[in-house]
Amino acid sequence: MTSSLPGFLFAIPFFAAVVIPVVGFTNQKFCRPIALVALVFLSIVSVISLSEAVSHGPLSHEFGGWAPPIGIEWVVDGLSGLLMVAISIVSLIALVHAGPLVEKELPDRVIPFYSLSLLLIAALGGMVLTGDLFNLFVFLEIGSLASYVLVGVAGGRSLYSAFRYLILGTIGASLYLLGVGYLYAATGTLNMADLTQRLPEVLNSRVVLTGLLFIVFGLAIKMGLFPLHGWLPDAYTYAPDSCTPLLASVVTKVPLYAFVRIAFWIFGMATVSTQIPILVVLGWIGAVAAIVGAYLAIWQENFKRMLAYSSVSSMGLFVLGFSLGTETGFAGGLFYVLADTLMKAALFGVAGAAIYQCGASTVTDLVRLRRNMPWVLAALLISALSMVGIPPTAGFFGKWHLVVGALEAEKYFAVAAILVSSMLTALYFFRMFQRVWAEPLPLVEPHVLETPFPIKMSLGVLTFGIIALGLGSDLVMGLIFESAIPKGF
Amino acid sequence: MADIFLYRPHFVAFIILFLLGIYIMVVNLNLVKKLIGMYLMQTSIILFFITLAVKKDSTIPILLPSATAVTPEAYANPLPHVLMLTAIVVGVSTLGVSLAMVIALYRQYNTLEEDEILGKMK
Amino acid sequence: MIRPHDSVIVHTLARVFTPIIQLFALYVLIHGHDSPGGGFQAGTLFAASVILSIFAFGIQGSQTVLERRAIILGGIGILLYAGIGLLPLILGEEFLNYGELPIPGMEASSRRHWGILGIEIGVTIVVAATAVSIFYSLSGRGEGEGK
Repeated sequence: MTSSLPGFLFAIPFFAAVVIPVVGFTNQKFCRPIALVALVFLSIVSVISLSEAVSHGPLSHEFGGWAPPIGIEWVVDGLSGLLMVAISIVSLIALVHAGPLVEKELPDRVIPFYSLSLLLIAALGGMVLTGDLFNLFVFLEIGSLASYVLVGVAGGRSLYSAFRYLILGTIGASLYLLGVGYLYAATGTLNMADLTQRLPEVLNSRVVLTGLLFIVFGLAIKMGLFPLHGWLPDAYTYAPDSCTPLLASVVTKVPLYAFVRIAFWIFGMATVSTQIPILVVLGWIGAVAAIVGAYLAIWQENFKRMLAYSSVSSMGLFVLGFSLGTETGFAGGLFYVLADTLMKAALFGVAGAAIYQCGASTVTDLVRLRRNMPWVLAALLISALSMVGIPPTAGFFGKWHLVVGALEAEKYFAVAAILVSSMLTALYFFRMFQRVWAEPLPLVEPHVLETPFPIKMSLGVLTFGIIALGLGSDLVMGLIFESAIPKGF
Repeated sequence: MADIFLYRPHFVAFIILFLLGIYIMVVNLNLVKKLIGMYLMQTSIILFFITLAVKKDSTIPILLPSATAVTPEAYANPLPHVLMLTAIVVGVSTLGVSLAMVIALYRQYNTLEEDEILGKMK
Repeated sequence: MIRPHDSVIVHTLARVFTPIIQLFALYVLIHGHDSPGGGFQAGTLFAASVILSIFAFGIQGSQTVLERRAIILGGIGILLYAGIGLLPLILGEEFLNYGELPIPGMEASSRRHWGILGIEIGVTIVVAATAVSIFYSLSGRGEGEGK
């Protein structure tokens, strides 16, 4: 049913991103309130849209009044509504967390930071909600440009990582555009719903196969799927600590959503598993990514770099879950994606707080957290346990459903991959626990700042969210099963 | 196999430009030359889209006020043109951001060669 | 710091060409409806005329002030775009649906015409301001990053 809510979901962060530079030149202190108020509105509107979409059916918004398939249409259904809620809430928390860090790290770049973060969030929302393939490319590029600049805005070492991220990301987006061109040449339409209807007749042609392969390849570069993850460790490690929670928690998940939408909704489950069996290939790639990412994380001394390789491993698990081919596997993968946004935001938030308060950037230095930083320690403990998969955190339930789905599909390599990567994850996180709790405190102590209130609040909310998502996993899984599963299982 | 050069030379041109762009990006160590390769690759994709829009004996896809009967065969397909306008804008903004990054890298490390920058970073 | 060019020919021709290019940019903007053109092209032409005059006559010292003014102009342009787009959304119709703009006394097709023209003017201002500010940040010792 048509509704103007999706239009507001784009307009609110976009308008705020545009107003912030204009207002901020008069007084810099206005940037942060405008950004946070806009994100609060965005979260409220996205929750309303999700509830409307779940109860009354998908909401659609035709831009400019032109009906699809000629016009561009934005659709809020179960999957995109859930992701939009996750994006808006986690980015609100990440921006709350970033407040003290921005003032310390980027004192003269406050306006670009807030404006670009809001532009990034608007672009991510646009990618999630759109129902048109080329519109997805446009928002992919907008979000990517904002994130390239956010990664490099601190100068110094981060500039080179941002440049490498730019080159690789542009290659990925260009490959995606090429794939869209091939699909357009074969079918004549760009609208996702229309493409679903026109594809079955042309499925046997090489054009469609090449188009799909280009799209998957391009999105895999953007996602950070092993072995196309080359930009990810450097970008996450050297990006300023105020930007990393936002970048790490949501930016790679939206190309993953785009892949899921194209593979499962447009092409259909039957096509991508039997006729053009990319799901089989991606299952193996995901399994290898999960294990290799976790293995590489063990050897890292820098805490943020360890978390970056952990993100590579998680992306492998998501792809593995989606490629299992059962409903439980798909739903488990989606649940684990939602849980991972909270977990990664919390972990990178802890890393930022550690550097801000006591200058601790390596895993060994994290022992300084024991002095007078209880909130940060609690967040670190809960999110690390969730990454490993200990009940009752959300990560446990995500991995549990993934394993159940893999057993249903009788793909035992997937079960093995999930268990092995969980064991390797346990290895590096428990090594971190040992450094934090079992080592003696150093005698000569650098000055430890007190935890600022925004960091306390954001880490507290994230910790509570991880546990609440875990305890309420039945509700969320029920919601996913009801409204976010594609047809064809 | 040879008929692709006769009947579809534009696809051959696109493939050559695309691979040339990627080769330039991979082989050169100078950052600005990498950007040239990147932009060449993006331009080749734009070329590919535009060639999808051409029809036989068709004119530019702009409807004149004096046109009486409108038949779709007389006009080229306007949709790829519009898409590529957007893609050109995206390419130009990417180029702007990347050039700004290259300038900032130059101011910091005083060189534009990738291996020297990596050496100075250690 | 770009110094003024020392050739008389460059000075004279730049003085002649800059207004011609700007006039052509306005032409391209307004005729974007009926011939190839539109907002982005006109904005780039405007920026080209500004850059030509900078190359010929040099940048004066106060670059950061000009850069800041360029960014504010860009903000105004994009607010024009966003405002015209948001007005139908607030009134209940879709985003960028110019047919429903609340202008009395016009039918839907001419409202769309004027809506598109308004948006294109906003786009021109933004593109010109952005291109000029990119040029400023690339040429001087200004900030390397930032919008």
